[in-house]
Amino acid sequence: MSDNDTPETETDGGTGIVPPDDETPTWSERKERTQGLSRLTYEYFERARREDQDLRQESSYVERDVLGFPAWPHEMIRNLALTSFFVGMIVFLSATLPPEMMPPANSSSTPAVILPDWYLYWSFGLLKLGPLNPDLALLGGKSLMADRTYGVLANLVVVGAITIVPFLNKGAARRPVEQPFWASVGVFGVIFAFTVAVLSVKNLVPMDSHLLFDLTFLLPFVGGFIAYAILKSMREGYMFTLNRRYYRLRPPK
Amino acid sequence: MSLEKKDEHDHRGWMEERDLTVLEERYLTLLMWLDKRLRLVDYLELLEDLYYKVNMQMPKSHTEQYGLDNKFWYWYPLYALGSFSTIAYLVAAISGALLGFYYAPAAASSSGDPTVAFESLRYIMQDLNFGYMLRSIHRWSAQVMTAAVFLHMLRVYFTGAYKEPRELNWIIGIVLISMTMVFGYSGYLLPWNQLSYWAGQIGVEMALSIPLAGEWTAQLLFGGFTLTQATLQRMYILHVFFLPFLVTGLIAVHIGIVWMQGIAEPH
Ligand code: HEM
Repeated sequence: MSDNDTPETETDGGTGIVPPDDETPTWSERKERTQGLSRLTYEYFERARREDQDLRQESSYVERDVLGFPAWPHEMIRNLALTSFFVGMIVFLSATLPPEMMPPANSSSTPAVILPDWYLYWSFGLLKLGPLNPDLALLGGKSLMADRTYGVLANLVVVGAITIVPFLNKGAARRPVEQPFWASVGVFGVIFAFTVAVLSVKNLVPMDSHLLFDLTFLLPFVGGFIAYAILKSMREGYMFTLNRRYYRLRPPK
Repeated sequence: MSLEKKDEHDHRGWMEERDLTVLEERYLTLLMWLDKRLRLVDYLELLEDLYYKVNMQMPKSHTEQYGLDNKFWYWYPLYALGSFSTIAYLVAAISGALLGFYYAPAAASSSGDPTVAFESLRYIMQDLNFGYMLRSIHRWSAQVMTAAVFLHMLRVYFTGAYKEPRELNWIIGIVLISMTMVFGYSGYLLPWNQLSYWAGQIGVEMALSIPLAGEWTAQLLFGGFTLTQATLQRMYILHVFFLPFLVTGLIAVHIGIVWMQGIAEPH
């Protein structure tokens, strides 16, 4: 863009702020003068912009390739309707089920049941995985770590595993039917969150604690396999229509 | 139109030759006064520029692009869960700020006698007009927010919405859900009742069993290896100072990214 061909106009509006004259470097001149990282940034931005431009011109679509659909208004209108309903639900619950007053803190009487809020049950359950803590023959049957340390590490492992999901599962598939494996991993995770939560209150569950421990790990696998089987058999039919629609819109290069 | 070039910058003259209502005139005068001093136009231009740049990223709606007016993706209602977490967070923030007027984080003892913190809860629940409602709303909106965040994460997982280019938002989400739980945990300790105390006990033990940094973490978060006044005070500052700033900021970034990228389409 060049400003040279437009007539000079008074732009300072009496503020004393002087418009750029011939001596003032233009933005591209300034850019050429910069060095190091900022220079690199500029260069990369130019490249990226050129790439965008090229892609857009090359594309046979009228619009730019769709990456997502707009948050406003498409999403927000529906969200506002649903959320206002649920805020009403919060107020209703509050009026009908207020929290109770517990006895004040007393370090000399341990309550029968010690529990955090429900959303931490899974984490609390992971602290009780002691039986899985490997004991090493080398150390004379002693464990490498204390059971509690093991439990805290289990928490970190679970959170870490969830964090790296986007880097393990790539590709364009989105719906569970398109990716039965990852969907069944998800089902496994959800069921495990519940079973391990039950494990955390094992002294309240009327069941042999060894059986409970085994079920904690068995049920998620069962659920995962069932989900896999169902999705896999649904896949055929779904993929046919999905592919037809998809490739009509985005023919393979 | 005369050939002579008009003075483009005689704003007063321009204003007078127009037929303006008093309100419009006052508004324009104020705007010009501010603009002359602060160069508001420049910022307006920046904003406008930003607006169009953001919108340039916005593609056709999903239904338009794919001609799907007759189709309904039956998981769409679950796409409201993120907004719902935000709203529940706001409700909790407002009711929490009001509760803050009446709560004092002082727990000199754990001997079974009511402490100052416990007493202020009793006051809120029993004496304060609508106090129990306030605490109730705060509790429930916090619970509901946590539930909504979990479900939101599941919906993102099962619709594959975490894939490129949204990995960063997934990671921000993990941080958010963790902070939400710490929010809940620190709030759980504030009443300083039996449940708070023993949940705090577990917290200290967990912190202590972290390899290498255990004692340091316990000192930092709980103010020592046993539960004292320092514990409550730290939990209080976490709950009403650090976490609100961090979570609010991160939610803004999280939603800003969604705004720029658009919602992932389940093609
Ligand atoms: C305080 C907690 C959170 C708030 C307030 C929040 C808010 C939102 C909102 C409003 C959206 C827009 C789309 C929608 O509503 O579904 C969104 C999208 C998203 N969220 Fe969250 N979120 C939170 C936690 C999380 C968590 C725990 C994760 C995952 C680990 C996550 C990952 C994502 C991703 C990847 C998107 C983009 C989805 C898409 O484009 O379809 N968020 N979030």
